Amino acid sequence: MSVHIRNFAIIAHIDHGKSTLADRLLEHTGTVSNREMKEQLLDDLELERQRGITIKARAVVMQFERNGKKYELNLIDTPGHVDFQYEVSRSLACCEGVLLLVDAFQGVEAQTVANAYAAMEHDLKIIPVINKIDLMHARPDEVAEEMMNSLGTDPDECVRVSAKTGEGVDGLVDAIIEHIPPPTGDPKATLQAMVFDSNYDDYRGAITYVRIMQGTVKKGQKIAFLRSGTSHEVVELGRFAPQRQSTDVLAAGQVGYLICNIKSLGDVHIGDTISIPGDKAAEALPGYSRPKRMVYCGLFPSDGQDFSELRDALERLAVNDPSFEFEPETSDALGFGFRCGFLGLLHMEIVQQRLEKESDVDLVQTAPNVTYEIINKRGETITIHKPQDVPDPGDIEEFRQPIVRCNVIVPDDFIGAVMKLCQERRGIQQSQEYLAAGRAMLTYDIPLAEVVYDLHDKIKSATRGYGTLDYEMVGYEAADLCRLDIMVNGNRVDALSVVCNKADADRRGRAVAKTLKKEIERHMFEVAVQAAIGSRVIARETVPAMRKNVTAKCYGGDITRKRKLLQKQKEGKKRMKAIGNVEISQKAFMAVLSDGEQG
Amino acid sequence: MSDLANSDIAEPDQPPAGWPAPRSAYIHVPFCRHRCGYCNFSVVAQRDDLIQQYLESINAELAGLGRPEVDTVFIGGGTPTHLATPQLQRLMQIVEHRFAIQPNVEWSMEANPEDISAEKLAVMRDSGVNRLSLGVQSFSDGKLQLLERSHRGIEAEEIIQLAAGAIPNISIDLIFAAPKETLAEWTEDLQKAFSLPIAHLSTYALTYEKGTSFWTRARSGNLSAATEQLEVDMYNAARQAAKQSGWEHYEISNFAKSESQCRHNLAYWHGRGWYAAGPGAASFVGGHRNVNHRSTTTYLKRMAAGQDPVAESEAISTVQYARELAAFGIRMLAGIDVVKLSRETGVDLGDECRLGIEEATRHGWLAASDGRMRLTQQGVLFADSVAACFLSD
Repeated sequence: MSVHIRNFAIIAHIDHGKSTLADRLLEHTGTVSNREMKEQLLDDLELERQRGITIKARAVVMQFERNGKKYELNLIDTPGHVDFQYEVSRSLACCEGVLLLVDAFQGVEAQTVANAYAAMEHDLKIIPVINKIDLMHARPDEVAEEMMNSLGTDPDECVRVSAKTGEGVDGLVDAIIEHIPPPTGDPKATLQAMVFDSNYDDYRGAITYVRIMQGTVKKGQKIAFLRSGTSHEVVELGRFAPQRQSTDVLAAGQVGYLICNIKSLGDVHIGDTISIPGDKAAEALPGYSRPKRMVYCGLFPSDGQDFSELRDALERLAVNDPSFEFEPETSDALGFGFRCGFLGLLHMEIVQQRLEKESDVDLVQTAPNVTYEIINKRGETITIHKPQDVPDPGDIEEFRQPIVRCNVIVPDDFIGAVMKLCQERRGIQQSQEYLAAGRAMLTYDIPLAEVVYDLHDKIKSATRGYGTLDYEMVGYEAADLCRLDIMVNGNRVDALSVVCNKADADRRGRAVAKTLKKEIERHMFEVAVQAAIGSRVIARETVPAMRKNVTAKCYGGDITRKRKLLQKQKEGKKRMKAIGNVEISQKAFMAVLSDGEQG
Repeated sequence: MSDLANSDIAEPDQPPAGWPAPRSAYIHVPFCRHRCGYCNFSVVAQRDDLIQQYLESINAELAGLGRPEVDTVFIGGGTPTHLATPQLQRLMQIVEHRFAIQPNVEWSMEANPEDISAEKLAVMRDSGVNRLSLGVQSFSDGKLQLLERSHRGIEAEEIIQLAAGAIPNISIDLIFAAPKETLAEWTEDLQKAFSLPIAHLSTYALTYEKGTSFWTRARSGNLSAATEQLEVDMYNAARQAAKQSGWEHYEISNFAKSESQCRHNLAYWHGRGWYAAGPGAASFVGGHRNVNHRSTTTYLKRMAAGQDPVAESEAISTVQYARELAAFGIRMLAGIDVVKLSRETGVDLGDECRLGIEEATRHGWLAASDGRMRLTQQGVLFADSVAACFLSD
């Protein structure tokens, strides 16, 4: 039976046509009719469609006949972004092969390389696919060569398709059946299944996505999650086609879902292993780890009254996204709020957008920061999630920050610009290699803090959009860091503190003070903005007192316009936060990101 | 909250005596010889070919009013006097035809010194114009050039003399705080103004509005705006000079000789209601604030197609009406009569705007005495902030 099963994923750089190809395969195998077809069928979060990215993993079974044999193709759709690296690795662990999709015009990009390496690590069969061959500027031969140089794939094995027109898709299905090995695994062995994702259904609770590695699971059976150590009864199981379709059995090699009356996604861990309860359980599958939050920021309701509403909204989100965490935080400046941890910057953006969409709490967000480690004079290691927690300089033995390895792929005209950028960000070059004539891959180790804010945007603009960046965590390294504080009329604003490199502190301090001067509206008195390290003030700016309004004409036609303008200004004031008697706008809390480059 | 707002009976929201019946009319003439660098008004330059069609559109727009009585007429722009003499005559004919002009009317016309001739003055006077508002802006050639005005200082003086012979009430506009202008230069402008036969003066600080070339130039560092302190000094200099000449500073940016306050503008600030016609023109009739489409060509197209030229229409509540009356009324130095305002609108202003009044008073901008609320000496510089206090809490 399992000889006719193929489990595979499509991996691709953003916009190389992964979702369109998935749509075409579903159509081609008759899994969905034209009538049911809508674009990006598998991306069902509205946010995913809007942004054209996949955030959650997903699986769909395609059943069809070829040469008189019934086949079952399981497509496991994975998120492509580096923030979700762990989720990607778990999805890949469920496959025997991948389609490595590359745009026939754009060629190999940083994400392509990162994902291809991940597939190689899992020892998967890689089918190189060149997409968008219908494009006028398609250059499939060159791209095939690029893939050979950078990824070691055979140009003769490259399948050429147009997901848009459907050209070549038939040949691709043949290639999948022919080249991707069927799953091994014994349906009679002890149950062993990998959890590769989960989502939450308001009526059914947690839906657990699984790949059965060994054995069989049946409806009504008792199962155990080996890592979390919990046991449940299987209430329903089935497959995605692409909607949930219940069945009685899932056997080794198959992909599907389990529903077990689990009330919170916090109890379902991606990467966990499912087996039978008791001593005779199968071994846990390798590779499991807890989600690592790399980026933290504070979220505060701008109206203190909304605190509990914000907590409810965060709880609702966390039910659906266990990789996001939050805990109450108190700031002198911003009052009661939450410190939230994210997998990366994209993840943070997504959570924020969902918060704004799904609740109407007006938020003040503090500048994002990475997680630091400090070894104090007593030899203890402290993990720091917010700059306010950095102890006095006298108590710090070693200040350590996370380092990531960045791969940047650029046309060679832009190598100089990218190298300059990486060096400015304290990057240490690891290698430089040519993927093809005119395209190179630069590898740098860079502090994550220097990457997260805007390195990607900076690389994009330095390379006219052609450069692509991908990164992976390397580890923590000691660095010459310090906490930079901001004071407004002598009061330290805890939410504005940042950790930065000592050598940069003066420049950063001046830049932040300058930006704050612009962002703080004038008051009836003078406002002093100071940047300081410990007790040493390194920059000062003054917002002068307001002397007057504009003395302009105000006639009949101006009344509506002027009223709206004045009301808007007044409303804006309400959302400000008072530090002492100085009102600070929400935007000002992001001022600490100023790097001083704008002068 | 007023009793009225809490009333269970579903009455239309309007003041106890109904909305004020308009007794003023504003006609917007969008044509100019050229657009000045600081101007973001609804004007078109070099499109004199549209004037004929424009006149007929005004005629058509006013046709539906049923010839109401008006005590004040204001023809503004743009530059109304940019129209050729026969066109100007036609415009005034239309106004007389569409409104029952009362014998005591104040009929104002905006004009630029460069467009004035003895002939046009005679036409205006004969049609009933009795107030001329001249866009002088300055008597200094350097400043005029910088402001992209096409007349010279001496010409402005001559025109004022000439106009005063034909039309009884001459008002001029002066701009201060132009780039590089000094306090001494501004004082010269003021002295010159008060030495001439004028009865009314509007002064305002140069503002850099989005969409003007000045705004772009100021942003690129190409024009440097005056410091705030200099603006305050210049404003105070104007107040001082007016006082010395025995004039009254009656509204934030307006000064008048006795009995020469602009009645038309007072109607705006008192929220009395007015009709309006022309591109971008705003009216206040029956509790509705309507604004015509700002683009001259769109306005003309809509009128030609028999469509409504209104681009935005807003029905205001009595609470909003009361707040607006206070916010714009407070711009007058005589202040507002809180009791009267509350009675007329049916909204208890002291209660409705309690927080705002407290705030403005705390800042030392607002003071109450003999039943009126007025801006203080300091508050005169913060009229917008006080207005904002009245408009929302």
